[in-house]
Amino acid sequence: MADPTVAGYAEALFAVAAAEGNPAAVEDELFQFAQALRSNDELRSTLADQGVPASRRQQVVEDLLDEKASATTSALVSMVVGAGRAAELPAIVDAMVQLGAASRNKAVATVRSAVDLTVEQRDRLVAAINTRTGREVEVKVVIDPSVLGGVVTEIGDDIIDGSVRRRLNQLRESFR
Amino acid sequence: MRIRWNRLLAATLLALVGVLAFAGPAQASGESVGACMAHLLEHEAHGELDEHLLHDEAVQEELEKCFEAPNPIIPEVNEIVWGGAAFLILFVLMVKKGFPAVKGAMDARAERIRSDLDAADQARADAQALQADYEARLADAKSEAARLIDEARGAADELKVDLAARAEADIAEMRTRAAADIESQKAQAIADLRAEVAGIALGAAERVVQSALDAEVQGRLIDAYIDEVASSDG
Repeated sequence: MADPTVAGYAEALFAVAAAEGNPAAVEDELFQFAQALRSNDELRSTLADQGVPASRRQQVVEDLLDEKASATTSALVSMVVGAGRAAELPAIVDAMVQLGAASRNKAVATVRSAVDLTVEQRDRLVAAINTRTGREVEVKVVIDPSVLGGVVTEIGDDIIDGSVRRRLNQLRESFR
Repeated sequence: MRIRWNRLLAATLLALVGVLAFAGPAQASGESVGACMAHLLEHEAHGELDEHLLHDEAVQEELEKCFEAPNPIIPEVNEIVWGGAAFLILFVLMVKKGFPAVKGAMDARAERIRSDLDAADQARADAQALQADYEARLADAKSEAARLIDEARGAADELKVDLAARAEADIAEMRTRAAADIESQKAQAIADLRAEVAGIALGAAERVVQSALDAEVQGRLIDAYIDEVASSDG
């Protein structure tokens, strides 16, 4: 959280979510939107384009999140985009998620998988990571087709890579 | 030379005989002829001169003798005196003045000739010395030229050897480098080919894996991952 601007926006989003009474749900919705923004270059460039009027960009956000996210989430994203910080939105959301987890004395584990995990799989994975790391974690699942199969877990600087992509890369290296 | 001296002697004797044989009438002064005649007449007349005496044949013969030329060899006494005095004067003058002058001139000439000869000898000696010097210099120059030629030849030989060695070293280096390049290119080609084959194989493998990764397989992979994380203690 080196960038004070990112930190400031993250704290503001976290405070609003907490004030609205459903911070975990807002965090999840913001996290999913940030991942979508990361994977979609066209959407990211459109929302970050200062040549497009702020009202137009906010209208795009509202159209995207209408009936798919809570009003709080939509309002927060619209606020950040209207402020011209759409490019920094993924980093702001990551910092907010870290703040929320820290407020609950937990760490954030970002789990990337080609398919979504079932609830049972999430619970088992949380328990396994808790056992392995010795601390409480919250799992944020990111659907990433490039993983092909399996799971990649990132906890801070630690990475637990059990993906098919890694095995293919190992096979590629063995050919050299 | 001998014939010339003989001819000169003969001419001198002929001239002397001519003078003695063909003595002309006396060219003596009037005083001598007059004195002869006066003395003869006075002697014949005994103090009394008449006209018969002059017609006397004996007297006439005696008078004619007064007109005869004096001896061409023996001069008159006065001539001898004057001539001797003149000769003496001239001799003395010659001895006192002329001879020293001539001697001085001759000495000066001899000295000049001697000095000229000495100068010529000196000049010849100088010329010989100069010639010797030139010859020595020429010899030095020749030896220096020969030395320079030898040095140049030696340097050329060294340069030739050096260039040959350098060329051989360059050729060897170029061969080594070419061999290394060939090996490198060969290794690179093999690596590229291997990477390309690996890429093709991996692409095919990835497509096969993707087609095989259905929901059931994905679920098993996730379960296996969870079990692996749970089994490891970090």
